[in-house]
Amino acid sequence: MEAIPISPESYNLGFIGAGKMAESIARGVVKSGVLPPQRISTAVHSNPNRRIAFESFGVGVRSNNSAVVEASDVVIFSVKPQVVKDVVLQLKPMLSEKKLLVSVAAGVKLKDLQEWAGHSRFIRVMPNTPSAIGEGATVMSLGGAATEEDGELISKLFGSVGKVWRADEKSFDGITGLSGSGPAYIFLAIEALADGGVAAGVPRELALGLASQTVLGAASMVTKSGKHPGQLKDDVASPGGTTIAGVHELEKGGLRGILMNAVVAAAKRSQELS
Amino acid sequence: MAAVPISPESYKLGFIGAGKMAESIARGVVQSGVLPPQRISTAVHFNPNRRVAFESFGVGVHSNNSAVVEASDVVIFSVKPQVVKDVVLQLKPMLSEKKLLVSVAAGVKLKDLQEWAGHSRFIRVMPNTPSAIGEGATVMSLGGAATEEDGELISKLFGSVGKVWRADEKSFDGITGLSGSGPAYIFLAIEALADGGVAAGVPRELALGLASQTVLGAASMVTKSGKHPGQLKDDIASYYGTTIAGVHELEKGGLRGILMNAVVAAAKRSRELS
Repeated sequence: MEAIPISPESYNLGFIGAGKMAESIARGVVKSGVLPPQRISTAVHSNPNRRIAFESFGVGVRSNNSAVVEASDVVIFSVKPQVVKDVVLQLKPMLSEKKLLVSVAAGVKLKDLQEWAGHSRFIRVMPNTPSAIGEGATVMSLGGAATEEDGELISKLFGSVGKVWRADEKSFDGITGLSGSGPAYIFLAIEALADGGVAAGVPRELALGLASQTVLGAASMVTKSGKHPGQLKDDVASPGGTTIAGVHELEKGGLRGILMNAVVAAAKRSQELS
Repeated sequence: MAAVPISPESYKLGFIGAGKMAESIARGVVQSGVLPPQRISTAVHFNPNRRVAFESFGVGVHSNNSAVVEASDVVIFSVKPQVVKDVVLQLKPMLSEKKLLVSVAAGVKLKDLQEWAGHSRFIRVMPNTPSAIGEGATVMSLGGAATEEDGELISKLFGSVGKVWRADEKSFDGITGLSGSGPAYIFLAIEALADGGVAAGVPRELALGLASQTVLGAASMVTKSGKHPGQLKDDIASYYGTTIAGVHELEKGGLRGILMNAVVAAAKRSRELS
C-alpha cells in the first residue's frame, strides 16, 4: 500500500519522550514559524517540570503516549535508546502507515525500528547537542517506505534547529563519532586555547572569551566561504608570521592525527554499542 | 588640553588604507546601522577595484589620504604594519587632538603610534579575520588621551563585525597568538575532523559539512551558555559512551598541550616581530 502524503500545511506533530531533544526541536520549529505550537503535542508521565516547559510555549501536553500518537500525523520517538524498542512495540497497534515515524535515538537501526513498528515509513535522524541553541548538525536516513516528500518535511523540521544532511545508514557510526561526539572535542580545544592564551599573558576571562569567539568565527568562515579549510589556512598564514609559527607547533605535535583518532575511536565504540 | 568629545550622532569616519579589513568594518558598520555610508570615506590610490568595492555600498572615495583626514573626526589606520609609520608621519600636520585616531596594525605599539602622531588620543585595535563575516574577536587598548567615550565609540564600530573586549596592551602578543592566529588552528582542526569522518566511513562532502557545523555549534554553546567548557564536556560525555571514547584519544595524544604550544609559539613570534 502506497504511503498517503502528509499535508505540510495541516499535519500534526507528536513527540514520544518529552526530554531536552524534543524540547529543542519543538522550540526551534515554533520559533522559525515552521509549525504553530497548537499543532504540536507530547506526553509527560511523571515530571511536572517537563509539562511546564512545553506548555510555556503553547505545545499541548497529554498524559499518555497513545493520545499523542492518536493526535499526530508525524511521530518523533525521542526517548532514550534503551527504551525505544519497548515504546514502539507498545504503540504498534496505532502506528499505521498513514503516520510518518521518526527516531532520533542514537545507535538504533532502521531495520529494527521498522520491525518493531510493523512498517517501513520510518526516518532515522541523528541530531547533535547544539540543536538546543539552533546550531545543530543533523543527518537523516530514509526507511523503505518513507517518501521524498516525507524526507523534505523532516528536513524542514530539523532545519529549524541547524543544518541538515541526508546519508546512507551505513555512515551513521562515523557520523556519531564526528558530529554526535564532536562537540566534546571542541570544548576541550577551547579550554586548551584559553590555557594557551593565559600562558602567553592573556587574562583568563578574556582568554576564554577570545578562544570561543575565535573558534566560532573560524568555523563560520568555513561554512560561509565554501572554501577548502586548507585554502583558508593558506590565506591567513603569511610568510614568517605568527600564524605559521602556531601552525608549525600543531603539525609537530600531530594535532591532525589525534583528532582523526578521536573520530575513529568514537565511531568504533558506536559500532560496538549498536 | 582635554579631548573634545566626538559626537556619536554626527561624527565622520575615515579609513586610511582601503583593504579588506577596512571594507569589512565599513560594511559591518553600515549593515548594522551604526553609521550611514555617507559618513564614511576612504582613499584609493591605484586599484580601481577597491574604489568600486567601497562605492558599491555608498562609501565616499577620495583620491588621497589628506582629503580623508580632513573630512573625518575618527580616523582608522588600516594600512599594512610595515607602512603605518610613514603614513602617520606624513599626515601628522593634520592629526590634531580633535580627531580620534585608531590603528588596526598588528604588532604596532601605542607608544610608537602616539609618537608619530604627536598626541596620545589613539586607540590600538586587534581585530581578526572572521570580522570579514561578522564574527570577529576584537580587542582594544586605549592610549593616554583616549577617553571612555572614545572607547565606547570604537567598541560600537567593531561590535558591528563581532565581539569586542578591552585589554592592557601588554597582553597583545598573547592575544595575537590566540585570536589573531587562532582561526588557522581551527581550519586545520576542521580538515582533520573531516578526515577522521572519512576514515570512519562518512563521505567526504558530508564529513566536511558536519565537521564545520559541529565546530560552529560547539563554539556557539560555549559563547551562549556561559558554562565552563569543561562542564559542557562533562554534560555530553556521559551520554552513550562514544563521546568519552573520542575524548580519551584526545587526552592520550595530548591535544591540549599541542594547542597551548601553538598559542605560545605564535605569541613569541609576535613579540619577536614587534
